[in-house]
Amino acid sequence: MSGTSLLDGAKGERRLLLGNEAIVRGALEAGVHVIACYPGTPSSEVPDTFYRMGGEGRYRMEYSVNEKVAFEIAAGAALAGAMSLVTMKHVGVNVAADPLFTAACIGLPGGLVLLSADDPGCHSSQNEQDNRNYARFASLPCFEPATAQEAKDMTRAAFSIARELQQPVMLRTTTRISHMRGPVEFDDLPRAVPLVEFYRDPDRFVPVPAVARKRHLALAAGMEKARRFVEGGRFILTRAGAPQCRAGIMASGMARNYLADALAAGGWNDCAHIAELGVTWPLPVDALGDFLARCDQVLVLEEGAPLLEQSVRSLVQRRGLALRVEGKDDGLTEQGEYSTTLVMRRVASFLGRPCPAGPPRAVEPDLPGRAPNLCPGCSHRAVYYAVRRVYGDEAVYASDIGCYTLGLAPPLRMADFLVCMGSSVSAGSGFAWASGMPVVAFIGDSTFFHSGMTGLANAVFNRHNLLLVVLDNGTTAMTGHQPNPGMEQAALGERALHLDMESIVRGLGVTECARVRAFNLKTLMKALRDMKARSGVRVLIAEGSCALYARRLKKKPSRAAVVIRQGEGAQRCLKELACPAFYRRGEELAVDPTLCTGCMVCLQAAPETFGIRER
Amino acid sequence: MEECTARQRLRIYFTGVGGQGTLTATTLLAGAAMIAGLDVVAGEVHGMAQRGGVVESVVLLGGWRSPRVDFGEADVLLGFEPLETLRGLPYLRLGGAVFSSSDPLPPVGVSLGQAQYPELAVIEEKIRQIAGLCKFLPCRELGLAAGSAQSGNTALLGAACAAGALPFGTDVLERAVKNVLSPGIQEVNLKALALGAAA
Repeated sequence: MSGTSLLDGAKGERRLLLGNEAIVRGALEAGVHVIACYPGTPSSEVPDTFYRMGGEGRYRMEYSVNEKVAFEIAAGAALAGAMSLVTMKHVGVNVAADPLFTAACIGLPGGLVLLSADDPGCHSSQNEQDNRNYARFASLPCFEPATAQEAKDMTRAAFSIARELQQPVMLRTTTRISHMRGPVEFDDLPRAVPLVEFYRDPDRFVPVPAVARKRHLALAAGMEKARRFVEGGRFILTRAGAPQCRAGIMASGMARNYLADALAAGGWNDCAHIAELGVTWPLPVDALGDFLARCDQVLVLEEGAPLLEQSVRSLVQRRGLALRVEGKDDGLTEQGEYSTTLVMRRVASFLGRPCPAGPPRAVEPDLPGRAPNLCPGCSHRAVYYAVRRVYGDEAVYASDIGCYTLGLAPPLRMADFLVCMGSSVSAGSGFAWASGMPVVAFIGDSTFFHSGMTGLANAVFNRHNLLLVVLDNGTTAMTGHQPNPGMEQAALGERALHLDMESIVRGLGVTECARVRAFNLKTLMKALRDMKARSGVRVLIAEGSCALYARRLKKKPSRAAVVIRQGEGAQRCLKELACPAFYRRGEELAVDPTLCTGCMVCLQAAPETFGIRER
Repeated sequence: MEECTARQRLRIYFTGVGGQGTLTATTLLAGAAMIAGLDVVAGEVHGMAQRGGVVESVVLLGGWRSPRVDFGEADVLLGFEPLETLRGLPYLRLGGAVFSSSDPLPPVGVSLGQAQYPELAVIEEKIRQIAGLCKFLPCRELGLAAGSAQSGNTALLGAACAAGALPFGTDVLERAVKNVLSPGIQEVNLKALALGAAA
């Protein structure tokens, strides 16, 4: 079951799939030619699955350096007539927004589907923006699956309409959809689907103002076509309540599931007319108008922004209906996620019925926390420890997006602010400029290639003053060790080419650049002190393998640290290094040999305290 | 004991520590439900899983559509670490069943002496105030007896199954082990399953 490729399996076969795997199968069934991405939770299993399968000649995929580039790769491929999939997390669409809007305008003949994986509740993100806004903003038909089966079916349908309209289509999931598992019934994979033949048409594909004005009309016409498809389509499910019933409930996305479960648990299946929307842009205004005309009151259920609710309110006004519309309120907020119990309480009050849900339960107070932490043997801890020793609280620390953001926790406290991918360099430059304070910015290797290089070029160009420390652990660690240009050639294989970071940094005009080994505290601290004594743009590349990646490659550590003397050094390491492999035995410090990776940073920090034990 | 006999429509909440194999156990149980011909949906939250954080997942059987369990909704709570079992307790409905490992994995704050790990007796007492059935299992020991500490998770599934908290028998879990897990670890997990069921 788990070992079987999504390239196998014929019509009628049923498998338990992750939502993201179902999207992969749907794209394969559509005949996808090209996949580009930048990884990001909760989207990453889509490209990772394509990567692992290799393609067997069916498709080509790449990990692009950022979302804008990924979108442009996919858009270019779709201009060449290929069916293209581009995947990213919700904030990635901000990065890709520029090409997204223009691509919608000129249209893409091969058909492009954008997967936007949103994260209400911020399970692993810096915000919970609702990317359905982009569908409305840029004019993209928007599919929102609610089950694993729908994730597959809608991906396929999204490609079909993207090709027919020659316009990009959004497939929008949330964490709960991407990471749900459910049964999926397969269809057959097609024989090779042909590319749409390219024809030169600058009057369409080169949006100078005269062209752009025409294309804006074409886009509107395309969206009207899409609306007609949605009106009659299979992705709006309506169910009538009892004949005398005048209450209606509309839901989209994950809220559809909570509604179905709440109705079943409350025994309310006949108490309201139900409309479940699988396509949430453009709205099927005719069908919805007819639905609303049967109601005196309607409740709209959607996580995130009240987009559907606002559309319903405007539709009610335009149709001149006398109807009470309910939606977001103190219980159903724009923040976080809905749940069955939450929806049940709201539906009960909407229907004026007693709610069978039990009394609210409280969080167990005062339990010791278990926050995610930098791993034992993490090279970032070594660098952070050294930087704190050299700079203390003198410097302001500009952080970036990656595992190393976890360095914000005490005792390292190595993050004072964070904006977005790549912002450590540029926001750090701005901060130093305005405050006159020393700034140390941290960026990971993948993030450096994502959007750190442009900020660095700007810092050199505008004569900014900061130290940029590149935490180069040789992989995209946070999202699951995807390839990036900094990864060793051996790990990249033949599919991609390694880029040398130091050459890039120097090529961008940085003269103060050093490359050190992260696990060598002495040279690391010497380099930091040298850098601290200088001004201007300085870059320190600290190299040390990701401990998790090494473990994944089954590299067994050959040695472990062991405490040979208690006392001041032991207490200091406990307090300042706080490696998760440390534990306290009474008042004494000990090292858990099953967790220790043998990085020996503790031994360098307190040589009198630690010894080496060969395994 | 009526409270712990399996309903067909069941919401199960799993909790553990990153790297413990919580998600594998989830997939195993979901796979067993597929074999038993039950409607199944499962949910996981990835992302921070491998960095020592809490890992939660859910399996819902018998026609639930939502891959999520909120406070007070779970019929069964499977905890792979006692502190996390206690942290997950608000998810259990009154009278639900709890199966938990009794082997603490102290969080960093506890290891470093900044926080206190609650006593197992206190954890058990708090669980009994909510749960209709509560069973602690020495999962690590059972796992090691079967051949690997990791297989202790399967022992816990075996115990829940043998106690009648799941709507299928251990034979279905055995078939799921053979279907879902890679061949190299099947034997160990089958042994762990039997040890858990007998415990």
